[in-house]
Amino acid sequence: MIEITIDEKKVSVETGTTVLEAARSAGIEIPTLCAHEGLVREGSCRLCSVEVTERGKTKLVMSCMYPVTREGLEVRTDTDRVRSARRFVLQMLADRNPKAPVLQALCSRYGVVPNVPENVEPELCIRCGRCVRACETNGTSALSFAGRGWEREVTPPFHEAPGDCVGCLSCAEVCPTGRITWEEKDGKRSIWGRTFDLVVCDRCREAYATAEQLRHAGTDPETARLCPRCRKTAQQERIRLGNRGV
Amino acid sequence: MKLTSQKAFEEWQALLSEREKGASGVRRVRICAGTGCLANGSAQVKAAFEAEAIRHGLSIPLEFAAESTGCHGFCERGPLVVLQPGEIFYEKVKPEDVREIFEKTVLRGEIVPRLQYRDPNTKQPARTSAEIPFYARQHRLVLNRCGEVDPFEIEAAVSRGAYRGLARAFSLEPERIVSMIKDSGLRGRGGGGFPTGVKWESARKAPGRHRFVLANGDEGDPGAFMDRSLMEGDPHSVLEGMIIGAYAVGARKGFIYVRAEYPLAVKALQQAIRQAKERGLLGRDILGTGFDFDLEICRGGGAFVCGESTALMASIEGRAGEPRVKYIRSTERGLWNCPTVLNNVETWANVPHIVLNGPEWFRSMGTEKSPGTKIFSLVGKVKNSGLVEIPMGTTLRTMIEDIGGGVLKNRAFKAVQTGGPSGGCLPADALDLPVDFDALTASGSMMGSGGMIVMDERTCMVDVARYFVDFLAEESCGKCTPCREGLKALQRLLHKLCSGRGEAGDGKRLGEIGSALADTALCGLGQTAPNPVLSVLRYFPGEIAEHEAEHFCRAGVCKGMYWPRIDPAKCVGCGACKKACAAGAIRGEPRAAHVIERAHCVTCGACLEACPFSAITAVRREEPE
Repeated sequence: MIEITIDEKKVSVETGTTVLEAARSAGIEIPTLCAHEGLVREGSCRLCSVEVTERGKTKLVMSCMYPVTREGLEVRTDTDRVRSARRFVLQMLADRNPKAPVLQALCSRYGVVPNVPENVEPELCIRCGRCVRACETNGTSALSFAGRGWEREVTPPFHEAPGDCVGCLSCAEVCPTGRITWEEKDGKRSIWGRTFDLVVCDRCREAYATAEQLRHAGTDPETARLCPRCRKTAQQERIRLGNRGV
Repeated sequence: MKLTSQKAFEEWQALLSEREKGASGVRRVRICAGTGCLANGSAQVKAAFEAEAIRHGLSIPLEFAAESTGCHGFCERGPLVVLQPGEIFYEKVKPEDVREIFEKTVLRGEIVPRLQYRDPNTKQPARTSAEIPFYARQHRLVLNRCGEVDPFEIEAAVSRGAYRGLARAFSLEPERIVSMIKDSGLRGRGGGGFPTGVKWESARKAPGRHRFVLANGDEGDPGAFMDRSLMEGDPHSVLEGMIIGAYAVGARKGFIYVRAEYPLAVKALQQAIRQAKERGLLGRDILGTGFDFDLEICRGGGAFVCGESTALMASIEGRAGEPRVKYIRSTERGLWNCPTVLNNVETWANVPHIVLNGPEWFRSMGTEKSPGTKIFSLVGKVKNSGLVEIPMGTTLRTMIEDIGGGVLKNRAFKAVQTGGPSGGCLPADALDLPVDFDALTASGSMMGSGGMIVMDERTCMVDVARYFVDFLAEESCGKCTPCREGLKALQRLLHKLCSGRGEAGDGKRLGEIGSALADTALCGLGQTAPNPVLSVLRYFPGEIAEHEAEHFCRAGVCKGMYWPRIDPAKCVGCGACKKACAAGAIRGEPRAAHVIERAHCVTCGACLEACPFSAITAVRREEPE
């Protein structure tokens, strides 16, 4: 364990913990957009900046990636430099995505007023890449970034309906702005230009996955009659019954 | 013949040196076969020399030898040839000049005056390259074989000392080599200026089974050709440095990352690797020491960001060339998460010299904090453009006025842009600044990889900032918010200013976005991207203000933001402007002052450029005709 200071508060953490986790464990909040607890970190949105002082040098770093490796690290999460860096990043994001609720909330907290430039079509995608990383983590990699600079965008390969997509909705689940949408109708789910058959749980009658999603996970949709929740309940029931039987 | 011991190498080296000395009396010609000279027909010049030799019954190579070499450096004057004996230097040689050169110079030792270099100011001809100020003020250490030997022949390089540093390195402990590099104070020539020895030491100490050494030859700055010339002209110097580095840090595999747009460099490196392997200087059991090291060339697709260390590694790994956050250094977790030393090709080429001559010797050149030399590509509005190697600490003035011969057409100097697109523009009062890592960074520019673009009074600084920001916005990978969105915001503001739509506060906004971008961007590209804008704001605030408040471009570059006016007192009526004017807006009789009719003028600026007497100036739109 290493002891560090965050905003004058002493915090003890394991070596290698990120400053973001260290701060959160001490109840200090740092805003993030591209970080997600279930995904590898990338440090690309640049919102979670903090100032750290280490060996006499003070610098601005991204808390979501910066590892605590040295005793006595001093972190400040609310200096002028930090606030103005966060305001700049928010301004840049909000100017292109003025209607994203998550940005609107942050903007009002940091006093940023979105100002959409001429000839810029407002969007909802902040290029945080959470969807891309989620899809990669699932082993499907049906989404990726294409283009570079201002033209960078999230897309399935060649802007076509992605053959590798299993309709699991992980991308939509982790999207912080609600940019990724889908539809469910008549036992089918449509996303990224593809339509998938939904599998319904025999017990609770809820559509809990797509057939492709189950196949991707190595389960035959024909034999998967129960959703994970009902399966668990059923198992518990079996154990109870079994015990009584003995 | 594979060399299996250091002794075998030394004997071979001595033999080749002897042979070289013995051949010093042979008449020969060195023809530059760098990319620039080749494009200007130097291959044909070489063929013409050989044809002449045959025609005169001289046997090749015993009585006459024509050798193609790497870049001589004075690219502006190519194709260049140097004749032996006498080191006689000729410029802009065409195949049809060869017969005369052969008959006069080769056979009779006479000079052909029309092919000699003449000083643009004194008109004095120079007999040898040493008499040309462009060469005389240089210190060619890294480039010592470049332009002297055939880059495709390992024997030529070895006869001039290649791999002697490597042979010496094997008699030292790896730790000793690392400390030698540390003591030498060598700093990364790719622009960062990070101490090379410190990097090596940390990679050597980092835990891991595999280690890698990489050479960055992904030179992407517009107008820069230092690394290309070095790889084309003396590939063995890069190889030798890398083998020494690999031995010092304990790597068994290395990659040279070269742009695919450098086909000649790739060819030269491939040949060098093949020949070094044949001689037992690379591959398994190098010189019988038991040390194995293999090198591979990796061709980059030409993305500017792939010159950034982590993006370069991603690209070698086969992923999209995007940088990663590097709070954990590449020396600990680099290529495939293994300890990795990445150095610029020029840095590698310095290594053999340090191992051979010692760190104190290296420290005797350059400045205390930036020892050694640095190669620059001197381009733009300067009389002598080309490849220049100088000791660190040489002033910008020496570079531009002495080596560069001053500003083209004797116009007034306005700015010099150092460090490539992410460098800054320095004004005339910074000319006495010594060129070293720290002085340039403190002035708001940077060393970069060594691009140096000279600008004259006809350059609009706002337009220059726009040009570089356009380049960087195009080359940004778009991964992080500040670079992706911030560069676009800067670009919008600069385009607005350059098209006469500037508004109060635009300059201030440029400064705010620029400094925030530098503070928050993920990689070196983004962090330095606002430098062109910030340095123009710092050194040329007047021009920004004129563009913003008056919609006036004093340089006469931004369309519709000035009127060209002919000063009747200076105009001699030569008609150059009239000829250059595509809109037919200029009237005037020969030898009488000309006039521009604004009704027809499209402010293309061609007349300003054409006037040899600087009689045309840009005036504010509201000034009377």
